[in-house]
Amino acid sequence: MGPAPTITIHVPGPLRTYCAGAAQLSISAHTVRAALEDLQRSQSALYRNVCDETGMVRRHLNVFVNSDNVRDLNGVDTTLAPGDVVTILPAVSGG
Amino acid sequence: MADRIILTIGTKKGVFVADAAKPRRSFALRGPFGPGIPVYSTLIDTRGTPRFYASSCNPFFGMKVLRSTDMGKSFTETKSAPAFPKDDGRALVNIWGLEAGGDKKDLWCGVEPASLFRSLDGGDSWDLVPGISNHDHARKWQPGNGGLCMHTIIRDGNRVHLGISTGGHYLSEDGGETFRASNQGVGAGFAPDPYPEFGQCVHKIARPDDAHGRLYMQNHGGWADWTGPGGPRPDIGVLRSDDYGHSWRSIAKGLPSDFGFPIVVHPHEADTVYVMPLEPATRSCPGGAPAVWRSENGGESWSRLASGLPRKQSYFTVLRDAMDIDRLKSPALYFGTTTGQLWIGREGGEQWDCLFDSLPPIYNVKVAVV
Repeated sequence: MGPAPTITIHVPGPLRTYCAGAAQLSISAHTVRAALEDLQRSQSALYRNVCDETGMVRRHLNVFVNSDNVRDLNGVDTTLAPGDVVTILPAVSGG
Repeated sequence: MADRIILTIGTKKGVFVADAAKPRRSFALRGPFGPGIPVYSTLIDTRGTPRFYASSCNPFFGMKVLRSTDMGKSFTETKSAPAFPKDDGRALVNIWGLEAGGDKKDLWCGVEPASLFRSLDGGDSWDLVPGISNHDHARKWQPGNGGLCMHTIIRDGNRVHLGISTGGHYLSEDGGETFRASNQGVGAGFAPDPYPEFGQCVHKIARPDDAHGRLYMQNHGGWADWTGPGGPRPDIGVLRSDDYGHSWRSIAKGLPSDFGFPIVVHPHEADTVYVMPLEPATRSCPGGAPAVWRSENGGESWSRLASGLPRKQSYFTVLRDAMDIDRLKSPALYFGTTTGQLWIGREGGEQWDCLFDSLPPIYNVKVAVV
């Protein structure tokens, strides 16, 4: 496996307070799981908002790689390519 | 500063704070804090400089604990919220109870799934209390309609009483190191055995300050007509203990329903206790006519308090933590409804007035004189 590709994580507005106001984070990771593990190490407060104590992505959050929900790809094992944008979004609510 | 009556009001859309001078003529409201996020538990901590706490159950980003050190003018997140150890396998769903501990910064916190956490630094860090959270029974408790929640924490010297829905009443007599189920006389309506060792759906427990050993319980009643295995279980919903919760007996006779959620004790009279009987099917007061019921003799008889409350066509629910009583000489009761009204019952509930009539659905009401 070569060097991990550099990707961008887009942080939703309500969570920016947990990463010093950053709207985007640039990290290197082969998979979404590795990207989350990076967040756990480097942005622990932000990570706790995205994943619960068991390491699962919180139930009412969706994680997209570019325009695809990882649920429709390979879950958190979805592989990442250089320049990919990982977006974390709350599920739609209301009705 | 003159004493103020402070109310913390946990709602579906955040926590509100209301305050008034001692005559309690009018309350000023501020909030919501943690806007848009449900708040199921609050605490007005009057040890030293007052601190207000509120749980904030964010459905997207998980639980937070909010703290105010300026009498509820602003709230900020504590450094962390309770969280299970990673290898535990459970994940926090909600916070149902916040209570003050022994030392100034000692806090206890009951959560869903039913477990107990403790903070020794005013809510900035939390540790699981293993004696109950990892109890042999813990993985056998089942969630009720509201979830598997530890909602009641009562400290009495070295005793700690816990109320769990559905787990029952658990008692520690060593300061919270170990716990055992203590449900003798506490009925269950939804199991073949009417009096199991544990697994009862306890709704709330209250303890008077000055009656040694006395406790009151609102249990999940409404099983008088049950015809299945074990037979009918009338009057299991409202109970009293006089031996520190080792055994319980019914005091439900005379109430229009033994089902309900909150139970509140008069601050100066241990024999005076208040409940709000609800019809089990609708979780609203019988006949659509809200009323608080009061006993002044420890549950031997009951009287209806409804002056000023709607007389008909009112179908709200008052949830387990949505009723409280202040500690003034002639105390006032307060309850919040699932339809967003906050009511005050002056003179111990003799006369009711609506303080606020269009709040979000109310989950929690706490009052203190600060």
